[in-house]
Order: sequence, then structure tokens, then C-alpha cells
Amino acid sequence: MWSDRLRILVVVGVLLAMAGCATSEEWATWKAHPAHFASKDHMSFSIRNSEGSTARVSRQDIAMARDESWWGKPITVSQDQILER
Amino acid sequence: MSVERALAGGLVLAAYLMLAQGAAAAPHEDRILPVEQYTSDKARTLATTHAGALRELNAGIYHCMPWVEVQKHSIGFFRPKHVTGGDDRHLSLRIYIEQDPSPEFARLRVEDRASAMFSRYVGPLLRRMTKDPAVAADPAVDGFNLILEWMKQAQRASGDRPVHETIAIFIEKADARDYLAGAVPITEMAAKTRVLGFDGETALGPIRLAVWDDNFVKTYKVANYVLDPGVSC
Repeated sequence: MWSDRLRILVVVGVLLAMAGCATSEEWATWKAHPAHFASKDHMSFSIRNSEGSTARVSRQDIAMARDESWWGKPITVSQDQILER
Repeated sequence: MSVERALAGGLVLAAYLMLAQGAAAAPHEDRILPVEQYTSDKARTLATTHAGALRELNAGIYHCMPWVEVQKHSIGFFRPKHVTGGDDRHLSLRIYIEQDPSPEFARLRVEDRASAMFSRYVGPLLRRMTKDPAVAADPAVDGFNLILEWMKQAQRASGDRPVHETIAIFIEKADARDYLAGAVPITEMAAKTRVLGFDGETALGPIRLAVWDDNFVKTYKVANYVLDPGVSC
């Protein structure tokens, strides 16, 4: 029973390590510096785009970058100046 | 720490990351005006009947035009304020266009900036808005409205709020149909549309545009952008 569970966990763990493309050295660095990543999004972006590979930008990355570079509520026309509900 | 506990921790982390990515990969449903917020039965019926088309429009823009932002309650069947009498309902879409600062663009007259934005976006967005043929075929849909806004490029003191330039475009249904059927070029449709301009909150009134057929939306790609799994554009 326990050995079956352990086997499943080992397989999932190996798949995880492969999917993340993070080396053991990178994991060690992360474990030593738990605040290294500014956010969970930054963490997943960094894991996915390891050094030497072509960066992959997802829709989520764009939304995150937009949020982080947000610099104030703009002055703009309100919807109800143009349209009614 | 045992091997089992470490691996279990990894499993939890993986599940968290997958859930976080999955949740963020979908567009926010609040971009669409909720049915209960309309003020007429006609609008509520339209919003209910075409709910699937509105969701598809929202998702299509989110995934396929990632440099464009749709904000809360920006998609729906709204009534143009300048139309008096009756309950004319237009399928409306408001977007904010994010673009790099360009001295050339900033030097243009406001009419020319508006013409450039109309040329780039109105054709492709109108096609998206009518992707479901049932929308244009619905006799209760009286027309189409697009609101395009972008950052005004100007010197600003530190702490000043950014200012957006906006154009609101109202297209009659017959004119949209002729254009979408290829019966008239975009120049002819543009000549028949009503376009209102805004500088920040200040209304500039109706403006005349000189538009052209622009393939920007079809050809522009965000560098290294990868579509989410299962999404096609």
C-alpha cells in the first residue's frame, strides 16, 4: 500500500521536475531564497523560461506585466457619457 | 524531511501552479455587462439570447489580441446616448489599445490618430463581433458600436494621471452588413458612420476620418507570445 503510494509520488515528482525544466541547482537556490520570486506568477514564468531557452510569453504573463506597470487611473471619458444600459 | 513528504510538497506546489495558471488563462467574465444591469426588456433579451456570442467575443479578444485590454462592463447591448426616442440597441465593445510610444503618432493631428486607429481596428473587431451570424441576423440588434481608446502621448509632470484619447464609432446595421459582405470598402462604411472624439473627459464632438484598409491586426504578433493550450485564433 505504502510502496504503491510512494511509487506514484516518485513518478509525479520526476514528471514535475522534467516539466519545470529547473535544475537541482535552481531548486536549491530557490529553497535557500524563498523570497526570490516576487509572486507566484513570477515564479512560474521563471521556471518555464530557463536560461538558454526561447522565452514563452503567455496571456497570463501579459496581464501580470500590465498590472505591475500600472501607473495610475487614467483620465478618460466615462461609458455613460456615450452609452446607456 | 522524508522523501514522501518532500514529494507530497512538490505535488501540492504543482497543483497550486496549475490551478493558478488555469484560473488566469481565462478572460474575466465581468467584461460583459450582467443581464440584470440592463434597463430594458429588449436589452435583457438580447443579452440572454446572445450570451454565448458575447463570451466568445470576450475570449477571442483576450487570447488573440493580447495587446488590447477590455475593461469591466465593456461588452454588451447598449443604447447610444445620442439616439433619441425608441430603444435602439447596439452590440458595443470598448477596448484600450496598448502601444509603444511613437513620436510619429504623437505628431499627427487628433483626426489622423483617430483615422489610424479606426483603420487598424474597426474592420477586424466588427468581424469578431459578428462571428456568430445570429447576432447580425437578430432584428432586435440595431447596429454596432466600438469605443477605442489609447494613451495620449504628452509631456507629463511626475504624479500627473495619464490621459486617454477615445473615439466612439456608431455603425448602422445595414452599413455593417454591406461592409462585412464585401459589398462596400471600409472607406465607404466609414463615411456613413458617426464618430465622436474625446480628449480625456472632454468631448470633441463628431470628427471626420480619412480611413484606409489596414492589415495590422492580421499581421502583428506580440514577441514570443504562445497561445494557451486548446486556444486557436
